[in-house]
Amino acid sequence: MPMKGRFPIRRTIEYLQKSDIFFKNTVKIMTVNYNTHGELSEGARKFVFFNVPQIQYKNPWVQVVMFKNITPSPFLRFYLDDGSQVLVDTEGKTNKEILQHVKKILGKPEEVLRAEELAKMVHSNPANFGPQKYFPRECMCEMEGQVPCPGLIPLPKEMRGKYKMQAEAEDA
Amino acid sequence: MFGVVSVRTAPLFRLLSPTCFQAVTVRGRKSRNDPKAKSKADRVKVPPPVDLAEMVVLKERFTQYELIIRALRAEFKEEMLCQRYEEEVGSLAEEKARHETEQHRMLMAWNDAENERLRKLREHRVKQEQEQEELKTLQVALALEKRMEEYIKEKELEILTLQEESKNFITLDNLEQRIEDALDNPKNYNFAIDKEGRIVKRTEQK
Repeated sequence: MPMKGRFPIRRTIEYLQKSDIFFKNTVKIMTVNYNTHGELSEGARKFVFFNVPQIQYKNPWVQVVMFKNITPSPFLRFYLDDGSQVLVDTEGKTNKEILQHVKKILGKPEEVLRAEELAKMVHSNPANFGPQKYFPRECMCEMEGQVPCPGLIPLPKEMRGKYKMQAEAEDA
Repeated sequence: MFGVVSVRTAPLFRLLSPTCFQAVTVRGRKSRNDPKAKSKADRVKVPPPVDLAEMVVLKERFTQYELIIRALRAEFKEEMLCQRYEEEVGSLAEEKARHETEQHRMLMAWNDAENERLRKLREHRVKQEQEQEELKTLQVALALEKRMEEYIKEKELEILTLQEESKNFITLDNLEQRIEDALDNPKNYNFAIDKEGRIVKRTEQK
């Protein structure tokens, strides 16, 4: 089945996960004003076409709104939860420059991301046993080199309580 | 643990023996209404034998052990809660918040500087465009004026040549004079010319 659209790679999960911009918790809305024609808006157009899906994928709780041909020059505007607004002028910039600029001013820094990842790992300890949905393994019998599940392969007689009791009774 | 009983060179199956563990009341294989097995019909369940002296000693030791373990657990829990409190509400959180606001302020300042730079560029570009527009309109106006002037000059020249020619016009006054002149001076147009325009051959007019 052929892929749909002009740059169908934008619809792949791998492409969407490539982005490393995680907005700070204070950012609620991102607004992009750009024009459909004009050399100066080219960077903003490319940003909207290629990078906004990635950003939205990584920040599902941030509202992203696009406005076309309203103002003569392109810009981005961020609305924070304390009511303040951040204006980012994008006239004449390429989409990569816009991305780096946005990451610098409103993206979570590397240390914070790493700390959050560690905190998340603490809660999900891979050494725990439990249901298949949440943990790597349910029972030790699944592991190679361990005693296999007695439900599938009966244990040898020496390991079964029945025979051990019988043996003790006989001894006695 | 008390009385390290497990230090013996017993084979693995003994260590794994169910008598080492607590009995768990789980129905397991059989459901609620299944009868007791025939082989177990005469079985009398007997609780495990208890040595009184051992029990006293064990109870004593167990209480001490559990006391210690409970104290340790409470200690660790307290430490963890303290740390979490510090992180969320205490001085650490305040420090972090202060640092974050400071960082945010700096980044906003940097962003404003960047916007300012772009604004200056934009103003410069707009000014240049305006100047070019003005120059263009000026040039168009000049060209138009020049064309008008040339047109006027051309027309004036035409008028002058016409005035010059009008001196040779035949009017009612000099009509008869001109007729006399034409009859006295007959013109002969019977000639041939070559490619350069020079007259080559003349034929006599009869």
